[in-house]
Amino acid sequence: MGKVQTEEKKNWLKRGWWLFLLIALGLIAPQVISEFYLLILGEALIMSLFALSFNLLFGTMGQLPFGQAAFYGLGGYGMAMLLTKYQANFWISFAAGIGVAALIGLLVGLFCVRLRGIYFSILTLAFGQLIFVIIYKWHDFTGGDDGIQGVFPPEFLKDPVAYYYFILIIFCLSALILWRIIHSPFGYTLQAMRENSERTEFLGIPIARYMLMAFVISAAFTGLAGALWAPFYRSVAPSTLMWVKSGEPVMATILGGAGLFFGPVLGTFLLTFIHAYLLGFTHFWPIIMGVLILLVIFLLPGGILGFIKEKWDNRQKQNQKP
Amino acid sequence: MSFDVLFNQFLSGIARGALLFLVASGLSLTFGVLRVLNFAHGSLYMLGAFLAYSIWQRLLIPVVGFYLATLISALIMAGIGLLIEYYILRRLYSRGWPEQLLATYALILIITDIVKWFWGGEFLSIPRPKPFTGAVSIFGFPFPSYNFFIILLGVALVVFLWWLIYKTRLGDIIRAAAHDRDMVSALGIPIPWLFTCIFVLGAFIAGLSGAATAPYGAIALGMDIDIIIECFAVVVIGGMGSLPGTLLGSLIVGQVYSFGIMYKPELALAFIFMVMAIVLIIRPWGFFGRPER
Repeated sequence: MGKVQTEEKKNWLKRGWWLFLLIALGLIAPQVISEFYLLILGEALIMSLFALSFNLLFGTMGQLPFGQAAFYGLGGYGMAMLLTKYQANFWISFAAGIGVAALIGLLVGLFCVRLRGIYFSILTLAFGQLIFVIIYKWHDFTGGDDGIQGVFPPEFLKDPVAYYYFILIIFCLSALILWRIIHSPFGYTLQAMRENSERTEFLGIPIARYMLMAFVISAAFTGLAGALWAPFYRSVAPSTLMWVKSGEPVMATILGGAGLFFGPVLGTFLLTFIHAYLLGFTHFWPIIMGVLILLVIFLLPGGILGFIKEKWDNRQKQNQKP
Repeated sequence: MSFDVLFNQFLSGIARGALLFLVASGLSLTFGVLRVLNFAHGSLYMLGAFLAYSIWQRLLIPVVGFYLATLISALIMAGIGLLIEYYILRRLYSRGWPEQLLATYALILIITDIVKWFWGGEFLSIPRPKPFTGAVSIFGFPFPSYNFFIILLGVALVVFLWWLIYKTRLGDIIRAAAHDRDMVSALGIPIPWLFTCIFVLGAFIAGLSGAATAPYGAIALGMDIDIIIECFAVVVIGGMGSLPGTLLGSLIVGQVYSFGIMYKPELALAFIFMVMAIVLIIRPWGFFGRPER
């Protein structure tokens, strides 16, 4: 038993080397790349967190929410409004952003967990748009289409490099927590629900309650991503809640591979950097994005990372055979 | 609140409901048979409106120009629907629905950019065609007579779809395929051919409804999402894939919208979602839908 465990540990170290490499790259990035690309990198990390929390529901639980941008926007608005309108402390505002997203997530979730599959997607989309409309039209309270300006981080985080490290730390911690959640009994239950919800129900698992818990957790982490974004961009706008924004983590996740933990991160990095690159010389990036999605769906059914893993596994198997 | 005001609002609601039915019926039909939720249905509707504008502009025929443009635009959309079904959706039937949904989402991005490319971002509009140019006075309130055209078109579509689905052999096949696709296939009916037919019909209806709304107000980018969200509310309330359900859902949403606008314009959409939430608490699969897992 003990031997198996140490071997597993060694295996994990062997397989985990690229993770350390990536974190090291993330740490030295500010010394290597220009400030423009550092901003893009920060954005990619925030959106990756958004996509990871989306994938808790999609990849792990097997339901596709299409209104997650509402929680992203609520996180941003919650923190920005407390900070600018009520002059609250940065950290309290930050926590409030997460709290607002989780609370509204609980409310919306109560309705959405009654449905499965495509109906779940439609209802989450509808609620997402509802929240968008309320924030967009409630001009007196939320600033309407002007959004909220002047969302500043505290003094020691005002420097772009400092804020980048702040994002990196929050991202790594959140990713670690999400990883632990997915690989906990709770996470395995979600996966069982994805594979066969009927059988899981027969085991005595209250499916709706588990779905609701996952929904709230996902909303909270999405809200965290939104709360990170507001001071990063120094403002929030209603467009952060729109359906287009909800589509971004969906695209990124399917592009990178929903079946793997880091699939959404890879997809987000690709999309963010392609977007930043394309904006330099064309405004017609959606059409390129659309064609890219179609190509990936047709040619790489498991996403890019899923494709790489499949090739890798095949090679391992062939090496083991002789 | 006096009766005449309420009646006027009720009529507006009927017109709104007819418009919603025009768009939602195509969406619901496609879903009922293909089991694919065509996210891009609203984009086909938008493209139909823009096409109708350009055709109308080039035709330069006074009275019938608009009606002719509407028909041609719907036919072109049917052709585009054929291409989309044959080259994109057909490859994805064996996959999960999330990938199908994402493919139609990609189509939204592509169609939006194509529209931006050809027509720019400006607002376009077609003047209301004869004999629906003016307004009719109902209890002393002006009621745009073009609303009657939309209601007529909606009623015509209801009758046509009812005839198609319940009175023809194709309708028998459609209902059977919605119930048990494999059995229909085993009976020797070419399912791919059926799917193509239905998707083309759905795209035709989308183009028709888009063109028909062109004289209503502005033809603009973003009209696709505005309508598709409301159509989702319609099909969720009525039950996905059900024709009577879509009709009932359209009428409900139309009335809620119309009276919501009277009560508090900026919250009209919020009222629709509230009704949807209430329906979902009572019947999660909508009024006429089937429970599904």
